[in-house]
Amino acid sequence: MTLGARGIEKRFSSQVVLRGASIELHPGEILLLRGANGSGKTTFARILATTLAADAGTVTLDGEPVRRRLGAARRAIGFVSHRPLLYLGLTPLENLEFFGRLAGVADARLRAERLLERFGLTPFARTAMERFSRGMLQRVALIRALLPAPKVLILDEPYAGLDDEGSSTLNALLGEARGKGTASLVISHDRDRIAPLTPREYLLKHGVIEPLP
Amino acid sequence: MTALRVLAKDLRLHARDARFIATLSLFSLSLVLILSVAFGPFFRDPAREASATLWAALFFAGVLGLTRALDLESESGGGEALRLTGADPFAIYAGKTIANFLLMAVLFVLLLPCTSIFFDVGNLAVLPTVAGVAALALIGYAAWGTLFAALARGLKARELLLSILLFPTLIPLWIGAVKLTRSLWADGTIEPVRDWLKIMVVIDVLGLALAAWLYEVIQEAEE
Repeated sequence: MTLGARGIEKRFSSQVVLRGASIELHPGEILLLRGANGSGKTTFARILATTLAADAGTVTLDGEPVRRRLGAARRAIGFVSHRPLLYLGLTPLENLEFFGRLAGVADARLRAERLLERFGLTPFARTAMERFSRGMLQRVALIRALLPAPKVLILDEPYAGLDDEGSSTLNALLGEARGKGTASLVISHDRDRIAPLTPREYLLKHGVIEPLP
Repeated sequence: MTALRVLAKDLRLHARDARFIATLSLFSLSLVLILSVAFGPFFRDPAREASATLWAALFFAGVLGLTRALDLESESGGGEALRLTGADPFAIYAGKTIANFLLMAVLFVLLLPCTSIFFDVGNLAVLPTVAGVAALALIGYAAWGTLFAALARGLKARELLLSILLFPTLIPLWIGAVKLTRSLWADGTIEPVRDWLKIMVVIDVLGLALAAWLYEVIQEAEE
């Protein structure tokens, strides 16, 4: 599935954040988007993930605007944001099974257990997450996004809070997803951690996205 | 199935929030106890005083309950993740509405015998009708409350907005509940105030219809 964004504009009050940002993400491709703090990377990610509406411009999936078929687009996109997007009063397994089933994953529990094992969270699978560290929450948030095997992944600072082992697991999973044709957009300052995946690099500056050599 | 899953998730979250459930129960029981002492021991119109007390306690507990439900959705972005599953918005609304209804129904079951004992009102013969009146009031509360909670979710002053929206909407519903309960406890019938029943049904249907129409729009307006 190809994710496209053309001429995305967004302003908050008088502050213009995006001034016609465009990007195209093809199946099996990993793309790294960098930019200074406050450059609008998170805003752009939220617009691509359909949690925020753009003032102008279009986001498309295989050429069709996502706003036209919002439910289907959301099932095709996996999103990790700055917030965990989880219920902290539930255990990781309960969260993952709940979100997985709502997203239409038949074997949600089994897939959740496997991914929890990959991230070394099996001993904590049935523990309420209220006292989880930032890194543990990030691992569960990543599993939530990966669980339905989405066609497109949008990961906003996915390495935040992860130790070396967690980063390696994430890279391995992103590599496997790429092999299955998943397109991934990774927003990160941590170029070294994603380097093994040799992503195409882009820079968001002054509200516009430019390719980096 | 989506509605049932959302319902199960909400009930599980409420059940695990023992401190909140204890606070809610203690708050409403204290209100009933304090007002029964204030009005008693020689009640002028026990049916009137008891029904007003019962529904006042449920009203304030209801606002607290909705505020807490709102926090559970907002605190770590669970509500946003729910939206991102692409599940049917009205099914999500239905699950949350039933959960809010059940939370209040449990509180009603707790408060009703206490009110009856403290004010010495009510009898078993009118109990099914009182339960029916309560169901009407609580359906309206849950239908409107869940809709307004979704409207307030993305805002900084969400608790304030929720209260401002809830008060005018629920007041006619609650007046109806007070009048019908009083009539049942005093006269054993709702005949003198039957029209309130129709008003309550209209408010309930209006809330559910509006949610069916607007919930998706409200959900998508959250940023």
